[in-house]
Amino acid sequence: MIDVGWISSVLAGAVSAGTVFLIASLGEMYAERAGVLNLGMEGMMIIGAAVAFIFTNALGHGAALLAVVLIGLVLGVSHAVFSVSLKLNQVVVGLAFTILGLGVSGLITAAEIRKRFILALNPETPERLVITQEAAKLPVIPIPVLKDIPVIGPVFFNHNVLVYFAFTLSVVMWFVLFRTRFGLSLRSCGENPSMADSLGVNVYRMRYISMAICGMLGSLAGAYLFIGYQPFWVEGMTAGRGFISLALVILATWSPLRAILGALLFGGVETLQFRLPLLGVAAQLPQFLLMLPYIVTIITLTLLSLESVRKRVGAPAALGIPYTRE
Amino acid sequence: MALRLERRLEISRKLSASISAFFIILAIIAASLVFELLGVSSVETLSKIYYVFTTPATLLQAVLRGLPMGFAALGLCLAFKMNFWNIGADGQIYMGMMAATGIVLMHAYYGLIPEPLVLPAMVAASFIAGGVYCALPAFLKARLGVNEILPTLMLNYVAMRFVDFLIYGPWRDPKGFGFPVSIVFPDYARLDSFLGHSAYVGFPGAIAVAAVLYGLLQKTTLGFEMRVMGQNIEAARYAGIRLGRTLLTGSLVAGGLAGIGGLVIVSGIIGRLRPGASPGYGYTAIIIAFLSGLNPWLALPASVFFGGLLVAGDVIQSTLNLPFAAVQIFQATIFLMIILGEFFKRYRVKVVR
Repeated sequence: MIDVGWISSVLAGAVSAGTVFLIASLGEMYAERAGVLNLGMEGMMIIGAAVAFIFTNALGHGAALLAVVLIGLVLGVSHAVFSVSLKLNQVVVGLAFTILGLGVSGLITAAEIRKRFILALNPETPERLVITQEAAKLPVIPIPVLKDIPVIGPVFFNHNVLVYFAFTLSVVMWFVLFRTRFGLSLRSCGENPSMADSLGVNVYRMRYISMAICGMLGSLAGAYLFIGYQPFWVEGMTAGRGFISLALVILATWSPLRAILGALLFGGVETLQFRLPLLGVAAQLPQFLLMLPYIVTIITLTLLSLESVRKRVGAPAALGIPYTRE
Repeated sequence: MALRLERRLEISRKLSASISAFFIILAIIAASLVFELLGVSSVETLSKIYYVFTTPATLLQAVLRGLPMGFAALGLCLAFKMNFWNIGADGQIYMGMMAATGIVLMHAYYGLIPEPLVLPAMVAASFIAGGVYCALPAFLKARLGVNEILPTLMLNYVAMRFVDFLIYGPWRDPKGFGFPVSIVFPDYARLDSFLGHSAYVGFPGAIAVAAVLYGLLQKTTLGFEMRVMGQNIEAARYAGIRLGRTLLTGSLVAGGLAGIGGLVIVSGIIGRLRPGASPGYGYTAIIIAFLSGLNPWLALPASVFFGGLLVAGDVIQSTLNLPFAAVQIFQATIFLMIILGEFFKRYRVKVVR
């Protein structure tokens, strides 16, 4: 039943599940800090998962991660073409990318088409890897010494490389955002783009860069979901996780460090939905548990809109507004 | 030589329509290219779609499948006119389905409502449920200035999970062999029990709604206030329009229409409630609203078109062995091309030497 072992295994599960949200929300955070709301996250994520599926079976993990990041770069930049250069409504562009992502990922993973892709990438691929709906999971790399610390060891230091990458990245991205000149310019594009422009910041370029980062991390989150968390392909397997990452950005109030806590919370919710029924706790609970991230987000958003709070930790002021140079 | 953008001050109807037509054709070409790239014959795919719209039986099916999205899109035309970015039509559809099913169960399990009143009660309940669900984020916006985009989006998932809870729990059909479905709706709770086909009731209903909406927006003070609020909120405030009240009324109607869309799904198409009964209809409704340029009259043919795509999707799935995703690719390319067309309606591109 509930003892230290159970709790630490739930926490370890929360870290695994939460990493999907963490990677994606770090990307989304940069986009929003620069003033671009990317509602296409869900689509970028699922394309990342689909590409990881095909490339892992054809060429292995390394090639898969490389391909995913490149595809994400393309997606992020093309979003920016619509939302930054053409100044089209960001909500509409984002939704179009989400629907496009769901469509493309479903089609390229359809048995016949996937087979053609895999064989084109690597004609030597064994038949088994061509027809399977699964892929090899990223290997778990326990960190020596640290993994032997009681409780904390198994929770944080017994994962695959992308988990370590995500947590390191949050710290790095926090530092870049709040302690460097580049980060200051990026934030100024989201707060007051015309002021930033007059001070010599290239707002368009900044927004392109942040969307490129957002696209790469969004796809990478999808790849992690597939080869790092549950390597079994189901059409539409992201199941709203891209939108949960948008929620996480709000909960973390646009700070990469706070995103770690939020990711653990949302990851914990996802883990508990499988663990609690095993304990015999009310069978209907999972559905209410799964509503939690969304409800928490709406409450957070409401609190953030209060005048006194908004001044300190509110949303970037120019979020969602295309910039036009006068 | 360089390109320069110039903002158009106004645009003639003719030019606007021809830009739209041009980009829809471009969308079909783009989607065909995507299909060819993936090694799928675009000619075969397009001929299936052509077949759907030229065969009476499948065309009627297209009208029916388009109805839920059509009702939701009618509501969105109103919401977007008010500059209320309701991404939550899917959730409002779920609430409508839930309310309609609730009425059926109240009659079937407890005999609370007399039989002839069941269908009218379902219509009213689904409208109210969808409306209130949409008014919730509208209230947050009016009262506390909470931007509506993310709350409406998040509420989709809350509604979906809540319907899951009901269907896996208290509303599960006791004779359903343990499957997560409600009881099958009795005849008096079904739209096809009147004229033989749900579309015969639903489509005239949609036309009536479009007429009312058009009248509301163009001929009444309330409609005028809604449009002013959407175009220039400062001017609206200055003119003394009661913004909160107008927004709440508009969102009630917008969400209510999506709720009616939900009613059409459970009572006109599948005849019971099951999980995932709306596979993103609320999102497609957004595309429809944009395609029709927020004009209620144009939303009807647009919804038939997208209903036809769904029917074609089934045909493609069974004959060409392609997943439903093929339809989503069509939807997305059309969507992207419409918004690209929007750009050319707003700006004139000039070549400067």
